[in-house]
Amino acid sequence: MLRASVLRVRPVAPAVGLQWRVANRFFADNKKPDEIILPGSQSANTNADIPAPPPLTSSANPSPSVTSTIPLQNVPKTPPTPQEVRAAPVVQPATTPPTGTGTASVAPPPKAPKPKKRLFRRFLYQLLVFSMLGYAGGVYYSLVSDNFHDFFTEYIPFGEDAVGYFEEREYRKRFPGQNSTPRLHPQVTGENKVTIPSKHGLTSRVAQEGEAKGSDLGSKGRHVSALEDNKPAASPPTLEAPKAEPKKEEAPKAAPAPATSTSMIDNLEIPSAKEPIVQDVVKILNDIITVINADAAPGRYSNVLAKAKSDLGKVIADISTLKESEQKAAEDKIRAAHTEFDDAAKELIRRLDAQMQEQERHWKDEYENEREKLAQNYKQKLDSELEAAQKVYEQRLKNELLEQSIALQRSFTSSVRDRVESERDGRLSKLTELSDSVQELEKLTAEWNSVVDANLKTQHLIVAVEAVKSTLENADVPKPFIAELAALKEIAADDPVVAAAIASINPTAYQRGIPTPSQLIDRFRRVATEVRKAALLPEDAGVASHLASLAMSKLLFKKSGLAVGGDVEAVLARTEVLLEEGDLDGAAREMNGLQGWAKVLSRDWLGDVRRVLEVRQALDVCATEARLQSLLVD
Amino acid sequence: MPDSSSTTPTTPVARTSRPMSEALLNEKWDRCLSSMLIRSGLGLSFGIVFSVLLFKRRAWPAYVGLGFGAGRAWEECDSSFKHAAAPSKDGLRVLRP
Repeated sequence: MLRASVLRVRPVAPAVGLQWRVANRFFADNKKPDEIILPGSQSANTNADIPAPPPLTSSANPSPSVTSTIPLQNVPKTPPTPQEVRAAPVVQPATTPPTGTGTASVAPPPKAPKPKKRLFRRFLYQLLVFSMLGYAGGVYYSLVSDNFHDFFTEYIPFGEDAVGYFEEREYRKRFPGQNSTPRLHPQVTGENKVTIPSKHGLTSRVAQEGEAKGSDLGSKGRHVSALEDNKPAASPPTLEAPKAEPKKEEAPKAAPAPATSTSMIDNLEIPSAKEPIVQDVVKILNDIITVINADAAPGRYSNVLAKAKSDLGKVIADISTLKESEQKAAEDKIRAAHTEFDDAAKELIRRLDAQMQEQERHWKDEYENEREKLAQNYKQKLDSELEAAQKVYEQRLKNELLEQSIALQRSFTSSVRDRVESERDGRLSKLTELSDSVQELEKLTAEWNSVVDANLKTQHLIVAVEAVKSTLENADVPKPFIAELAALKEIAADDPVVAAAIASINPTAYQRGIPTPSQLIDRFRRVATEVRKAALLPEDAGVASHLASLAMSKLLFKKSGLAVGGDVEAVLARTEVLLEEGDLDGAAREMNGLQGWAKVLSRDWLGDVRRVLEVRQALDVCATEARLQSLLVD
Repeated sequence: MPDSSSTTPTTPVARTSRPMSEALLNEKWDRCLSSMLIRSGLGLSFGIVFSVLLFKRRAWPAYVGLGFGAGRAWEECDSSFKHAAAPSKDGLRVLRP
């Protein structure tokens, strides 16, 4: 906010001056980082920036006063059409040194200082660049194309060196490790140049008439035609004769010696020259002679040639003598070598013979030794074989003997056994009889033992039952009789009847004991009073009926003795009588006949009575079983 | 009231928490009386409070409260007597025709 307001306020003083502009910069400006403007550095340009006085006429409708005063650059241009604007590329304005933010201060465009010198320099630079580019391109293209290679190496200075350098590099890259000597011609490197002087070799001259009869190009007039018969046909026979002259077939191209010239020098003829060197020399000489003969004045050279001929003859003779001497020496040498070889061969044969004899002797000795050794070996082997065979035979004999003895022993033992068995059988029969009788006796005693055991068992059973009964009868208060019952069960371990009888007893009975008959009677009296209170209750009695029953039961008459009737009072009287008689079973039956609240109240007492009855019944069953067991024994 | 303490003989059976069958009715009477006392007392006290707060210390709200309490106790007692005689059917499924 603050920054924005400052930015908005600042353009109030735009045209103060350039010095101020520098001072007016704020931190909030979007300044360019690397451009430092020293104060006063731009003061030279201030004159251009002073804005012109505002025109009297607006730019929208220019008045005719434009004509003289306004410079050309200040004339507003016609605005471009929108299409042009759209089509024209966006030209970024050249970066100008930072000035103030005011619209009136626009920095001048940068001038191009001293264009002439820079133009020349640029020309030089471009020339260098283009020439280097061209050179490089030429080198490259010459490596590619052979035609251009020729042109380039021929006409461009140092082109051959450059191309050669690159070819060399490529060659080395392709075949590394080879000789590093430059492959180029020595003339390229500038060494061993052979300079041929200008006046050297054959020179041109005008062909003379009569020289070279083959062609009459030097003469005037009509030349020799290839088609027609030529007139000066006299030359062929003369040409044939010197051709036959040369002494050898090996030199058929002897120069044609003109027969017409009288003082012709004879061709050299050395029949004995068989060496090729000599022949060559002769040929050279003959050529020279032919040349001289062909020349106009053979007579001038005749002396020299004759001397040369004689010298040559001498030389040839020397050569032949030398050859002969050499041949003789060689023959001598060959003969000496033959003799030497013969001696050596004899020596060799002699040595070989000695060696063979020695070897033969050696072999004979070895053969003897070997034979002796073999004979000894075989003898040893035979001895050992014989010994082994004898041993085997003896062993076999021994084995047979042993087998016989074993068979004898076996037969003896079998016979002894048979005897013993026959005698033993007689005694054993008596022993088996005795053992049978003993076994019978044992059986008898075992039977009696079982009888005695069963008796003892039943006795124990009876004793145990009696013990339980006595504990129950002698108890004044209910006592648990688990120990006695456990003893009874242990004694009658395998008796299913006793087990079933014991299992029929309610566990609470033997865990807590059963009440005595006197206790039962006592409790019955208490129960009877309660039952009497609830005697008059109807079914689903509420509080009122309970109160009524409670009150009315006091008024009831008590029955006694074996009363007749199904009402509560009669039942109670009968039960009491039965209890006093000791008939627990009957008493329980009577009480079980009650209904409603009376039955609910007497439930616990009935449970007690039933438990007592169960115990009594179970004990009776056990006693009966014991008696039955004792009866079953016999 | 018949004494409930005499019903517990010296037998070890009496050790169980379950009351003897002949003492069932007596126990019910005890419970009825105690509940009647408590409930009628509560009703009475509520009646007295209401009479003091709302009814200018009239006597009848106190009697009404007493009646409510006593009646409630009577009803409870009645239901307990009625349902005790019949064997309880808790945990049994009732098959209706």
